[in-house]
Amino acid sequence: MLEIDGLQAGYGDVRALFGVTLSVGAGEIVALLGPNGAGKSTLLNCVAGLVRPRSGAIRWDGQDLRTLGAHLIVERGVALVPEGRRLFGGMTVQENLELGAFASRAWGGRRAGLERVYTLFPVLAERRRTAVQALSGGQQQMVAVGRALMASPRLLMLDEPSLGLAPRLVAAILEALVAINRAGVTVFLVEQNVPAALSLAHRGYLLEGGRIVGEGSGASLMADEHVRRAYLGPLAVRTPSPQGEHQ
Amino acid sequence: MGSSADDGGRPRTALLALLPLTAPRDDVLNFVFLILLAITLAESWNIVAGYAGQVNLGHAAFFGLGALVTRMLWTEGAPVLLAMAAGAGTATLFALVIGVAAFRLRGAYFAIGTLALGEILRTTVGNVLPEISTLPAATIASYRLTQRFYLALGLAAVSVIAVAALATSRLGLGMRAIREDEEAAESSGVGALSLKLTALALSTALAGLAGGLFAYYHISYYPSHPFGPHWTFDALLMTFIGGVGTLQGPVLGAILYIVLKEYLALRWVDIHLLIFGALFVGIVLLLPGGLVQAAERARGVLGGARRAA
Amino acid sequence: MSVLAQQLLLGLLIGGLYGLAAAGLSLVFGVMRVLNVAHGELIMLGGYGAFWLAALFGVDPFASLVLVIPGSLLLGALLYWGLFGFVVRAHEETRIKNSLLIGFGLALALHALAVRLWTADERSIPTSYGGAVLSVGELSIPLVRLATLTLALVLIGALQLLLSRWRWGKAIRATAEDWQAALLTGIDIRRAYLLAFALGTALAGAAGTLVTVAYSVSPSIGLEWTLKALIVVVLAGLGSMLGTFVGGLVLGLAEAASAATFGGPYREIVGLVIFVVVLAVRPRGLFGR
Repeated sequence: MLEIDGLQAGYGDVRALFGVTLSVGAGEIVALLGPNGAGKSTLLNCVAGLVRPRSGAIRWDGQDLRTLGAHLIVERGVALVPEGRRLFGGMTVQENLELGAFASRAWGGRRAGLERVYTLFPVLAERRRTAVQALSGGQQQMVAVGRALMASPRLLMLDEPSLGLAPRLVAAILEALVAINRAGVTVFLVEQNVPAALSLAHRGYLLEGGRIVGEGSGASLMADEHVRRAYLGPLAVRTPSPQGEHQ
Repeated sequence: MGSSADDGGRPRTALLALLPLTAPRDDVLNFVFLILLAITLAESWNIVAGYAGQVNLGHAAFFGLGALVTRMLWTEGAPVLLAMAAGAGTATLFALVIGVAAFRLRGAYFAIGTLALGEILRTTVGNVLPEISTLPAATIASYRLTQRFYLALGLAAVSVIAVAALATSRLGLGMRAIREDEEAAESSGVGALSLKLTALALSTALAGLAGGLFAYYHISYYPSHPFGPHWTFDALLMTFIGGVGTLQGPVLGAILYIVLKEYLALRWVDIHLLIFGALFVGIVLLLPGGLVQAAERARGVLGGARRAA
Repeated sequence: MSVLAQQLLLGLLIGGLYGLAAAGLSLVFGVMRVLNVAHGELIMLGGYGAFWLAALFGVDPFASLVLVIPGSLLLGALLYWGLFGFVVRAHEETRIKNSLLIGFGLALALHALAVRLWTADERSIPTSYGGAVLSVGELSIPLVRLATLTLALVLIGALQLLLSRWRWGKAIRATAEDWQAALLTGIDIRRAYLLAFALGTALAGAAGTLVTVAYSVSPSIGLEWTLKALIVVVLAGLGSMLGTFVGGLVLGLAEAASAATFGGPYREIVGLVIFVVVLAVRPRGLFGR
């Protein structure tokens, strides 16, 4: 279970988070929504250990993550799929995935891990020896998600996985997330694509200007006036919901 | 930064000017001469490094060009000051020509690029003029060390004054802006390239004059010698250890360097480089402001102690 | 014609060592953005290692690689822990500048130390097979130099293998590409830096040994070889070790061609001119990513 308490963080003189408190329970899918620049990426980067917060607490399974280096946080079972994927371009699909299992908790089981990823994303199996820079955006995103999965995480965090992807691919990624969650992995998802995020999240938080301004179940947020007006609007993108009964 | 050095500098300069009148031994005059030459070299290097923020590893090229042209013109009969001016002019011209291209490079690339240029010049001069350059007997007979000494004193004073004037001028302010953050400076209207070129011109003019002084001073040397990279490295060491970007830093560094070098050279040749190399690393890592920063800290500590007591 | 061919051959033979020298520098710069301008001094130290092993214990210089390489690995680790490990704390721009300065100080100190300990004299390692020559048509190939070229290629190949098969080799490559993404996959990038620096130093030490057996060593070869390595890295770009090796061969050939055309003294200049021209034309193109 992930607990964030009064988190303050920023870059240099610029503050991005002003006392954020939220939690992600074991087995949940929780979405963090909000406009550009709200601080959503900063939050994930703090949990993953790439950014040192000014103050506040980050606890995973009761353990304080703030003092750990990013690579040690992966060892604790927390994996981040960063914004823009950040794949190792010159390496093949298989090499990227393998590196995902670098943490000692996962290295021994990497063959099994590869099989699981290839089952989840069959198209990657066909292209396992291709350099990732030759793949399409959607396939690269699959590699990015797969790479994080290779670390055998118990908490999987994703930063804007749907960015720049066609609706069909977004749906494929979301389906995969549901499957991953069913297998017991907690998912913490940052998204600008609100309908997509809320279609699979159990709960959601709304982050605006570095502060939590709303929270609720997926359905209640979807129905919320403010959310609808600000993020859905008349031209909202309709993404097919991966499974109907999930709300 | 400027005022305290100026106030202290003038009486010290006056003292030094009186030195030859007390008829000291030649080796004392030579020793002080070397210090004055070092001060000029270090301050000139400081202009580009400390104020414009770029590490120029080809500084010796300008020192060498100044020496080359001065020697040639002077031994052909030109008055020495004119020859030195021509030397400085040549150095500056060369600097401006390559500067336009060189300043497209950032940080380390500028450093190694200028190093390569310096080496190209040294090798070429060494190939074209392999024979030692010796002054004709008549010139040696009329050699007056005092003249050289006063010239060195004047040049060192000029370089310190130039840097002092630069630091407080609009030019210097712009340079400091570039050094801190070039992109931010550009966007607020500071023309980075022209400022850097001005800095380079001033720096290389002084280096060229220093080279001319070298040519005037030494009776015989290989023409490629003043192009050697160790002149650049000396300037770098002296400036950084003293305190890059300050006025007194290069002066302090130069004095310390020459004193240590001459003293240690008696027993262990080149060991001063080992000491300075290690000192340099320590300064880069721990005390980037050099001796000047150390002195300020010490003053702060002592001031605090006095207040507490 | 055959004189030119002979010159080009000799250029090729030393080019392999240029490539090996550059590989270490390239690895370190590619992975940690540290420009170690004391790299040439590390080559020099490796050379002296081989020299003293031969002079004091009669160890054959090629065999001494077995001792010089691990010794250089250790030296690299010590230099990282004691020095360059602190440089990597800063972000990229500052890191490059600081590493340049620190490398400079280190180079000066090592050079002065070498002069103090071993004098400025040139040393070489006389061997029983030193003068052996292989005659192919009109060309005479000095066997020792041929052996050093071969060994250089073998070492580069071994490095390439390490980087692609070894778990930490892959980690090093990943760190070079994107250190934040590497952290996110659980790679301790400080350890990757340490390993890269140690490997780079090991390559330098090996290059030094080969340089000494094929030519000679003295304290002043440091600056010379740092420049050669820099030229090759700028020519070949970062990323491929084999590409760097080929870049070294190209430099060797270019030098030979220039010496044959313009005369011996101009051999050194062509490399420097290429360097300056490439930097001017593509200021960050080859170094940048």
